[in-house]
Amino acid sequence: MSLLLNRIDDRLIHGQVVVGWGQPLALQFIVLVDNDVASSDWEQELYRMGVPPGMQVYFHTVAEMPVRLGAYVSDPRAGLLLVGHVETMQQLVAENPEITTVNLGGVHHAEGRTQRLRYVFLTPSEETALRAIQARGVEVSAQDVPSARPIPLDELLSARQTA
Amino acid sequence: MLLRCLAIQGSWNYEILGGNGIGFCVEPALRALPGGPGGEAYRKALARQCVYFNAHPYLASLAVGALARAELDQNPPERIVRFRTALCGPLGSLGDRLVWAAWLPACSLVALLLFGMGWSALGVAGAFLVLYNTGHLALRAWGLAAGWLHGMRLASALSARWLQQGPQYIGRGAALVAGIALPFASHRAIGGGPILDPVPLAVAALTPCLAMLLVRLHGKVEGWQLLFGLLALLVLYSTVLH
Amino acid sequence: MLLFVLDFLPFVLLGAVLGLDVVSFPQAMISRPIVAATLAGAFAGAPAAGLVVGVALECVALETLPFGASRYPEWGSASVVGGVIGTRGAADALLPDPGAWVIGVMAAIATAWLGGWTMVQHRRLIAYWARPRLNSLASGSMRTVVALQVFGMTSDLVRGGVLTLVALLVSWPITTWAIDAWRLGAVETRGALIIGAAAVGASAVWKVFHGFSVTRRLFVVGLAVGTMLVTFRG
Repeated sequence: MSLLLNRIDDRLIHGQVVVGWGQPLALQFIVLVDNDVASSDWEQELYRMGVPPGMQVYFHTVAEMPVRLGAYVSDPRAGLLLVGHVETMQQLVAENPEITTVNLGGVHHAEGRTQRLRYVFLTPSEETALRAIQARGVEVSAQDVPSARPIPLDELLSARQTA
Repeated sequence: MLLRCLAIQGSWNYEILGGNGIGFCVEPALRALPGGPGGEAYRKALARQCVYFNAHPYLASLAVGALARAELDQNPPERIVRFRTALCGPLGSLGDRLVWAAWLPACSLVALLLFGMGWSALGVAGAFLVLYNTGHLALRAWGLAAGWLHGMRLASALSARWLQQGPQYIGRGAALVAGIALPFASHRAIGGGPILDPVPLAVAALTPCLAMLLVRLHGKVEGWQLLFGLLALLVLYSTVLH
Repeated sequence: MLLFVLDFLPFVLLGAVLGLDVVSFPQAMISRPIVAATLAGAFAGAPAAGLVVGVALECVALETLPFGASRYPEWGSASVVGGVIGTRGAADALLPDPGAWVIGVMAAIATAWLGGWTMVQHRRLIAYWARPRLNSLASGSMRTVVALQVFGMTSDLVRGGVLTLVALLVSWPITTWAIDAWRLGAVETRGALIIGAAAVGASAVWKVFHGFSVTRRLFVVGLAVGTMLVTFRG
């Protein structure tokens, strides 16, 4: 089973992740990699409240992942790797060759970001980071929910306010 | 504030999502800040509450109550901002599980069962609205009160057993109701009649087959797309080829 | 033409209000097909037939629940269109005319899909309208907060109304033609439509609830009990 989806989503654990992907993939655990959340007990407690009983959430810093990822990849349960920032995923990909696909699920509006899809806004540096991830042979596509069409990175970066 | 919560998604958009709605709902409470409406504390707090936010619309009332309390308790602004950001995901996830994936389909299925049992148009539509909105309005009202009560210790409210286990129990009940409702509703919708007639038999035999096909095609073809295509073929057959 | 459009006015207003209910206000689910199509049927003088149209659409709508901020079909205005079109020629009948019912369901599905697209455009419009006012929001202006809410809800109301009108204008002549040209028997038509709609509903129930333990078995047990009861009653 292992990690079925490696997702970038700045909302972290929310409905699209738990219900939208969680139900069709029958997810049993989520690996949330975020340096801030990994050091905050009250945030971890809140995020744990967002998942159904029986679904585990594991919190890690980026630095912990090279040691931990192998165990999650070989875990017999269905799991999802979740990060909130493009840069975090870039760091993970650089240090963990087990990650071969990246799902861009939601990066929302902020100062300096340009809209690419209705749920993807990127700064120039985030676009560069995504290109760097792709250059490592990782398949990068945007897809908010399973029923939507996955949009490859090249198409995404040439798009402006589509889909 | 409860009435305002009904319009919490009134300005939902792809940039700040429901952020302005949160500000709109919290605003009456902020008038009690030192300096009153229009004062510096009021304006700063309102500005903080109008930035990006996304959660389930019903459970967002928990955020409204908790954020109003956090502002009136005059917690440090950076802590309020971080708390507000951390609320989005869990409230979205819990709300989707409890309402969109459990309560709403459960109420729809009860309405289908009532239709199958021969209830009138007014009875079916009325029963659905009363049943659904009893849960809907109770959830919004509870959310606002619990948010206000717990403030930034909201996780204890979210850990309530009924909230965590509710989707599972509702889902089990709804699955049973669905099983009973579909044959009843289908039978009435085709006009009733003896079950051993060719058409009711065909419905009983072909519906599960098509349903299983749709389950297998999950992620590839949506049911509504397939139905639209099948109906287009039916129109062609009945009007041109027949 | 103007009189033709004016005839649609009650339905357009209903479509506008129910379109608003989907997301903006008050999300009381009067926009669900089983309510919305029944209301539209009642406006057209055929509430019972409207309910039957709504039942078929409700089965289909079970598949498209509004998770997260994803794009989903808009069933409020669409069900009004389905209810109006699907009950044509039904008068006080308990069941819809077969041709009208099929076209009504198709019109509703198409309108729901188009409605999902209009919702995306509407959300972009609000963002566009908000952009020059973000500084005012950042300064804590209550007037801007309220203005943004009012703009969003008003434009959503207009969106639902325009969508309903356009869908009715397009599907009305098609229904007129279909009612006249329909050759397949009423029972066979209803059977074919219900096979499709109920299958979508059943697969949706399976997909939505399969993650909970024992629900699959409960669903199958329910199906067996339901089928037996219908057989016994029939």
